[in-house]
Amino acid sequence: MAENTTMTNIENEDTQKDKYLTFHLAGEDYGIEIQYVIEIIGIQNITDVPDMPAFIRGVINLRGKVVPIMDVRARFGIKNRDYDDRTCIIVVNIDSTEVGLVVDEVSEVADIPEKNVEPAPRTSKNHGDSYIQGMGKINNDVKILLDVHKLLFSGEMQELVETSEE
Amino acid sequence: MSIPLDDDQIEIIQEFATESRDMIEQLEPAIIELGQNSDSEILNAIFRLFHSMKGSAGFLEFDHMTRVAHAAENLLDLIRNGEVELVPNHVTLLCAACDFAKEALDMVESDYNDDAMVAPADAISEQLHQAIEVATDQEEPQVEPAPDAHSPAPQSDAEQLTDDFPGIEITDEMRLSFVQEGNELLQSTEQGLLAWGEHPENNDSIGEIFRNIHSFKGNCGFFGFSDIEKLSHQMENILDRVKSGSKLAVENPADQLLASLDILQRAVNNIADNKGEEIENLDDHLNDLQTLIAPLLGDYLVEEGVQQDAIFHAVETQKKPVGEILVEQGTASAEQVNSALQKQQHKIEQTKATAKPASRTKTPAKRQDIRVELGKLDSLINLIGELVIAENMLIHNPDLKGLELENFGKAGQHMSKLVRELQEMAMTIRMIPVSGLFRRMIRLVHDISVKAGKKVDLVLIGEDTEMDKTVIETITDPLVHLLRNSLDHGLEPPDERLAAGKSEKGTVKLSARHEEGEVWVTIEDDGRGLNKEKILEKAISKGLIEGDGSDMTDKQINNLIFAPGFSTAAQITDISGRGVGMDVVKKNLEKIKGKIDVSSTPGQGSKIVLRIPLTLAIIDGMIVRVGTATCIVPTLSMLEAFRPEMNQITITPDGDELAKVRDNFLPIVRLHDILGKTPDSKNLSDGILIVLEYQETRFCLFIDEILGQQQTVIKGLSDFIGNVPGVSGCTILGDGGVCLILDVGTLVDSAENKKNKYENTRDAI
Repeated sequence: MAENTTMTNIENEDTQKDKYLTFHLAGEDYGIEIQYVIEIIGIQNITDVPDMPAFIRGVINLRGKVVPIMDVRARFGIKNRDYDDRTCIIVVNIDSTEVGLVVDEVSEVADIPEKNVEPAPRTSKNHGDSYIQGMGKINNDVKILLDVHKLLFSGEMQELVETSEE
Repeated sequence: MSIPLDDDQIEIIQEFATESRDMIEQLEPAIIELGQNSDSEILNAIFRLFHSMKGSAGFLEFDHMTRVAHAAENLLDLIRNGEVELVPNHVTLLCAACDFAKEALDMVESDYNDDAMVAPADAISEQLHQAIEVATDQEEPQVEPAPDAHSPAPQSDAEQLTDDFPGIEITDEMRLSFVQEGNELLQSTEQGLLAWGEHPENNDSIGEIFRNIHSFKGNCGFFGFSDIEKLSHQMENILDRVKSGSKLAVENPADQLLASLDILQRAVNNIADNKGEEIENLDDHLNDLQTLIAPLLGDYLVEEGVQQDAIFHAVETQKKPVGEILVEQGTASAEQVNSALQKQQHKIEQTKATAKPASRTKTPAKRQDIRVELGKLDSLINLIGELVIAENMLIHNPDLKGLELENFGKAGQHMSKLVRELQEMAMTIRMIPVSGLFRRMIRLVHDISVKAGKKVDLVLIGEDTEMDKTVIETITDPLVHLLRNSLDHGLEPPDERLAAGKSEKGTVKLSARHEEGEVWVTIEDDGRGLNKEKILEKAISKGLIEGDGSDMTDKQINNLIFAPGFSTAAQITDISGRGVGMDVVKKNLEKIKGKIDVSSTPGQGSKIVLRIPLTLAIIDGMIVRVGTATCIVPTLSMLEAFRPEMNQITITPDGDELAKVRDNFLPIVRLHDILGKTPDSKNLSDGILIVLEYQETRFCLFIDEILGQQQTVIKGLSDFIGNVPGVSGCTILGDGGVCLILDVGTLVDSAENKKNKYENTRDAI
């Protein structure tokens, strides 16, 4: 279902605006901009890759493409939890790099207009904040909107990419 | 050309440019070879290149190209006839002509004319003429008449060829290329004719048909196939008339021409089967065609006794029908004209009657090449990969477990076989041999050696090694740079070589071969080698390294030449030495995840190895298991596998393990340590040791078990992950899972460290 939404949205940039794919992770609701989402797949067999940061679980085969998998819980330093049949992989694409994000559960595509997005709070000392783009409000719910680019590339990942380029 | 061009003409020009470029590329190495041994076959091939270039350029009115090609043709003709002896200068001139042609083709492709090439054309044709004059003066005291400045009619040219060389030996290879080219020409003629037949009012296509037939005729003449030459000549005549707007006996001669084309096609097929080129009833066919040419009224009038002058006069003032004018002027009687008209009418009807029933018989199509976009191929290959996985999932489906399905099994096996074949076919599609790339280097080496005044022997090895097309394109520039460097900096001038006790002629070896899942392109010269002191000095002065470099290994020093802005040539020559080359080489290679190894022995030469991964190639791999993880070890680097006995194992004081394999102690690398997995058992005698070799270094890899052997497609790990030590890539297994391919090269490093430590401690004891 979500895939279909993405497909039609790709045809029209404007309709992707303010739309977020929301998912559950350790009791919180998160959202990422729909323009980055390629598809959502169930959890599958992940092949380990040695010498990777803990949050890079390994790689999977997505119709012939090798896609690295990032565990978002591990990325945020949240305690691991066994994968179950609700666990999903959200495949995102940034600058033609495809990465799969493991989340506890995908919920829905939500419309969060810009006026309902608050800037990220600065008070917290938790380093996880650096991935936050803002806080989206839908009625009484709050969705933590993630900056996909930072989620993928900042911190340890940055170093990894840099060392491999040397 | 001053007239505006339409799409068709542009297309013709572009086709001409591509064709000519291909030909030049093919023949450039041949020209260089000429300098070494003037083989008459090679000469003929080169002659033919310039001849057809002249023809095509002439047709398209690229006068400057025509001029140069003609001059080169003249020179070659003299050489071929033995009237002029080939001197190295001629080779250089011919190469210059090729260069000119390439430049002109670029121009033609962008501007659709070669007007801007006046000056270079003048210079080159002047040089060629001079060379001819000088040569003929020396060789032939009785002064050969200088070749005609006007290009001889193609027909007489072709005849001259056969007349002068009744004994040309036509090799099978030449014949095959004639057949292939002939087929292509005939096929495009056929398509042209068919299109023209449907839209006779559209005369644009005639030009191309004419050109095809003309080249075909030229080829036939060159090979001395006189029958087909005659027939194609007749067709050319007719087309020429159509082109110039003359009237033909029938409104649309396409059918008749197609029939003749079929005859030509059959003749070419006969030649392909080595059955000779004779055409049965050639004269009939020729006459059939002749009748297509509209009979001229004037001819009949002369027959009727009308003065020719009067007819010409009449034709000039022709506004009314010729007959009427003649009658009005009183030079012909009404009866004469009527009778002439009747004869003309009769003849036309007759031709129509004979021309119409000309039946077309289908000839079988011969081999054809098509150009396909690479992207499409890639998705095809990916799809086939998916198909293999899907097939595996289907046949080994858990739902089928325990069922007796004899027929299903058979069908499944059949399908597996087909899928396997399909996969193998797909793998080979993208691969092309490196010979094209290597052959291009012949020219380069020749040019540089002339410029730098060095004598060089270029040895090509492994030309048939196949590589991915894009990879070949990416390494072209690096290879050019490296060769230049080898020739310019590496090889010494002849006197210096003699002084050093080497042969005067330097050798540069260019080779390609498969090595442990990579293709290695090696450039090896026997020159002076890399000068470490000079490199260090330079690197320090340029601030590329800190300190005096005394703590650097030879390898590190050698690698400095790839640093940006590094150039050791004392003088910057126009060949190399701007210090931009080597880092470009490295960058280009990194793009395709390749590596460069440099090794050098002072005074004996240097060797540069480009190690290029086969991103799309297949490797034979052994699937091994450790705990829950499976990996693939390239079979190429595997020597043997065995279950070790405890008495074969030695443990050093450092805790490193060595296995005694026959008389060698090989370090043991535990795969589970590298992958961070838990093995079935940490006890060496419970698992298996695989002896792996990498560049003459051996070590043992400890695994739980070997699962099997498989041909696998190598895929890169995602860019997001980057390079992973110990892993060179991955592949997708039959069950859809991803399996890592081990990089024996990086594994050996960790093994080597162990061994060194062991040997040091042993020495200490």
